[in-house]
Amino acid sequence: MQALCSVGKRIPKIDAVDKATGRAQYIQDLKLPGMLYGKILYSKYPHARIVHIDTSRAKQLPGVRAVLTGADIPEIKMGVYKDNRPLKVGKVRSYRDEVAAVAATAPHIAREALNLVEVTYEALPGIFDPEQAMQAGAPLVHEEHKTNVLKMPWKLHYGDVEAARKEAAFIVADRFTTTWVTHCCMGTSGAIAEFDPANNLTVYSNTQIPSLAQKDFLEALKAMGVQDRRVRVIKPCIGGGFGSKLDTYAYEYIAILLAYHTRRPVKVEFDRTEEFSATSTRQPTITYISQGCDKDGKLLFRDVSMILDNGAYTSWGATTPSVMMMPITSLYRVPNVRYEAKCVYTNNTYAQAMRGYGNPQATYAIESTMDMLAEAAGIDPIEFRRINANKAGDVSIQGLRITTCGLEECMAVVKDQLAWDRPKEANEGVGMASLIHVGGGARVYKSDGCGTIIKMDDFGKVDLFTGATDMGQGSDTVIAQIVAEELGLHIEDVHVIHTDTDVCPWDVGAHASRTTFVAGNAALGAAKKIKARLLELGAKQLESPLEKLILQDRQIRHREDAEKRIEIGKLLRKTHFSHAGQMLMAEYFYDPTNENMGRDFRGNMSMTYTFGTHGVRVKVDDETGKVRILNYVAAHDVGKAINPMLLEGQVYGGVMMGIGYALSEQVILEKGENMNPNFRDYKILTAKDVVPIAAPVLETYDKDGPFGAKGIGEPGCVPTAPAVANAIYDAVGVRIKDLPVTPERVLAAIRAKKGLDLCGRELSQDHPDECVIQQ
Amino acid sequence: MRKFTYLVPKTLDEAISLHEARGERAKYIAGGTDVLVKIKEGKLAPDYLISLKHILSQDRPFLNNETGELYVGAFMTHRSIEKSPLVQLHYPILHDAVKNIGSVQIRNVATIGGNLVNAVPSADGAIPLIALDGKAHIYSAKGERTMELLRFFLGPGQCDLGRGEILTEVVIPPQRPRTGSAYMKHGRREAMELPMLGVGVLLSLEEDLNTCAQARICLGVAAPTPFRALMAEKFLVGKAINAENLAEAGRIAGDESRVRDSIRGVAWYRREMVGVLVKRMGLKALERAENKAEGGRLTV
Repeated sequence: MQALCSVGKRIPKIDAVDKATGRAQYIQDLKLPGMLYGKILYSKYPHARIVHIDTSRAKQLPGVRAVLTGADIPEIKMGVYKDNRPLKVGKVRSYRDEVAAVAATAPHIAREALNLVEVTYEALPGIFDPEQAMQAGAPLVHEEHKTNVLKMPWKLHYGDVEAARKEAAFIVADRFTTTWVTHCCMGTSGAIAEFDPANNLTVYSNTQIPSLAQKDFLEALKAMGVQDRRVRVIKPCIGGGFGSKLDTYAYEYIAILLAYHTRRPVKVEFDRTEEFSATSTRQPTITYISQGCDKDGKLLFRDVSMILDNGAYTSWGATTPSVMMMPITSLYRVPNVRYEAKCVYTNNTYAQAMRGYGNPQATYAIESTMDMLAEAAGIDPIEFRRINANKAGDVSIQGLRITTCGLEECMAVVKDQLAWDRPKEANEGVGMASLIHVGGGARVYKSDGCGTIIKMDDFGKVDLFTGATDMGQGSDTVIAQIVAEELGLHIEDVHVIHTDTDVCPWDVGAHASRTTFVAGNAALGAAKKIKARLLELGAKQLESPLEKLILQDRQIRHREDAEKRIEIGKLLRKTHFSHAGQMLMAEYFYDPTNENMGRDFRGNMSMTYTFGTHGVRVKVDDETGKVRILNYVAAHDVGKAINPMLLEGQVYGGVMMGIGYALSEQVILEKGENMNPNFRDYKILTAKDVVPIAAPVLETYDKDGPFGAKGIGEPGCVPTAPAVANAIYDAVGVRIKDLPVTPERVLAAIRAKKGLDLCGRELSQDHPDECVIQQ
Repeated sequence: MRKFTYLVPKTLDEAISLHEARGERAKYIAGGTDVLVKIKEGKLAPDYLISLKHILSQDRPFLNNETGELYVGAFMTHRSIEKSPLVQLHYPILHDAVKNIGSVQIRNVATIGGNLVNAVPSADGAIPLIALDGKAHIYSAKGERTMELLRFFLGPGQCDLGRGEILTEVVIPPQRPRTGSAYMKHGRREAMELPMLGVGVLLSLEEDLNTCAQARICLGVAAPTPFRALMAEKFLVGKAINAENLAEAGRIAGDESRVRDSIRGVAWYRREMVGVLVKRMGLKALERAENKAEGGRLTV
């Protein structure tokens, strides 16, 4: 095999300089001629009937071109469950409900017009707790749905959990909760919609799903009575996605509707407050879990039941159980598994996909109880995990086929690099947690495919049109590396175009850590076709047998005869500018042979699975409850690192996102109202909070991955919270079962463990509320 | 964002006359890290912003060698105070506070005077300056007046400034010999953080380097305004400075505080942290006093 020239190299992202110098064009930078500015009026209540909306004063404001309410627009149904509309009719169900929208010649006029829209509400009782929302008599969020519990089928039972429970020597059971956190993309959401005179629609949007968005917008046009027109989706530079842009949203449809009504391009761009309060969060969960093992520490069963606060509408958050099933059934070998999840409507904000897609919530409960079970069984937590570790060749009870698996190696590396057995100071502790995640696509839709078109020019350069979406994660660079490697070119010879559905092939979207694997394989497939043609032409030109030739350093070379070589550009020109000339183009559509889940949720949803183990050393301040992370090791089996520098970036970013999830981040909702829609009070961690992170990489060379690679986009934040929680337990003996693990929660737990109240006094039966501070 | 006219006076008198002519339609601005945010949020809507940045004044804290007083000009940026060797060496409590405000970018423009007149309960700058017994100098058309900085704060967002008045500087009297001081912001992350609680402790020791001659304990976010825990201070005077006595002082200070629940922190935790941090800052102040045992009047 030829030595690798591009793949495996630490190559900076090809758009790094543009982004660092401000040349990159985001939605915020785009302005079309004659463009209007759209603004959205949100609900003043978490739950209320809309009695009347008076837009007359707003419409009279000079500069206002359109004011729309739910009554002015056709019924466009949005979201996974089609229970949402761009502008609400009849009632509002959360504070982020869109009530009216304005298009004006300047943003400040649009904003002023919003103040002139008069809405009369009749407040309704709200429901904000999913467990209460499930009870009879609770206010209904969607009356026509008859119940607040979504009719979604998240229920599986493999083996016999009850029988296994009887056999188990050790059992632990507990309740864990996670709360709302949000993606915090540096680039806020936004879209521009424009109709041409024939009513063809172009939408500029920073979406992660250009092809699916195109389909959603086509359906909207249909609802609007605009038949048989084209929709083109153009992506500007995207300032971060993390799952937030995996659906189409009200603001995009509002831009389309305003553009349609005004016959002008309309931009709707979120400010930071809207980005916090009107975009979707990670799915909050309440998890009841029990696990049991035999006397030797072999897992016998895992029994999980969850309640998900769905919020007022349904986006992908409600489908996260489909991914949670993966760690619940298949993280470690478990012969009997039961899982059920109920998604419940409330008047809170609704949840979306977010890096890990439910896996962090599930893994928090699983890996916390793994430590508890190890302790109950009297087995060292690493040894306990080793006993139950997945191995290459396993088929999990859910039918996941584990092709390559570096889990045990990851645990060993973490143990070593974290100096696990080193003597600890007081209040110092170590903890670990592992992960399984899809690493070879995820068959969520009927297709998990991605297309690529390669066009060679006369100079040995490549124009590559991919369905993939680069939202900052670096897929353009990785794809360029793969193609440069295959064609013997330099990375700068490969121009990746992913921005335009008019020219780029279909792709299901940038989700499920699938882009390197799926789009990489698609690009590789197209490059192989070009390579075959080049070798064929080269063989003729160099009068050499094809198998003696290689592509290297922009040339076709004879392996043994250094004289026999030709520049690829020159060969292309010769082929083009000759009688019956030809130019080289190739297309390839890669759709992995992974399986949709069946009725019983069994099925090999991914071609391969990424494994990893995170270990952390913490020091807990037992007087303040503060947790300081001294060292963090995140080891992953990535198949093959296409670009170790970008891979480390993914891991560092994932770990910091995970630590924020573990320790500090939360969207604070009070009766549905976002109380901290800003970076001052939403405690995303800052550059100064970055902890020492090591990101050892294990390469297991997966046979299906491009050059052996598996996906690594999400895993970095999956097992972080349980690793930290386990380390805290090791340090001070308290287990925190609710995220985030705030100093308040740690201190309260430390005091409770000592038999003290919150204020550090002996618990007294007579005065249980002794330390409550009167306001 | 609403439009405004930006005025750039070169002297205090010019600034005051500009303000006088425009009255409530005008607002002073220095670094702008609070004023501009409030304008963007629609909480302020002035037609005129009068910049105080170009008024000729000292750009870093300086010591009056005759009186031993430290002058901290209101228009100094947090960064210039943070970088002052004088402050680093002899007023560590002030250094502790300013070095952790916002981020470097914010400290490069935000002024200490702006931090004080903004008068939020969480103002990091106020706590050490009160602990150092600072006097606020306030200038207006009627001339200059001086008041204890502690009394300057009237309520959340309210300070004792009349219309058109300008806070020009805070003057810190000479410290007693054998004095040490320390401040800590208690928050959830390392930057861009408002304190959940701010605790400053200043201790002056007797010649035995053990007995407390004077104590000032100043707390932020523990009440609607920065305040001094006078009972806790009184408890310490004449006693040996050790962990036990400081813990008791902390407990007293916790009882004196009027903490409340907010999205930034719950009352019980804040009160508990008053206890912990008064002790810790007291120990740090003690260590600093011992290290600087030669003490006495400063000359630089």
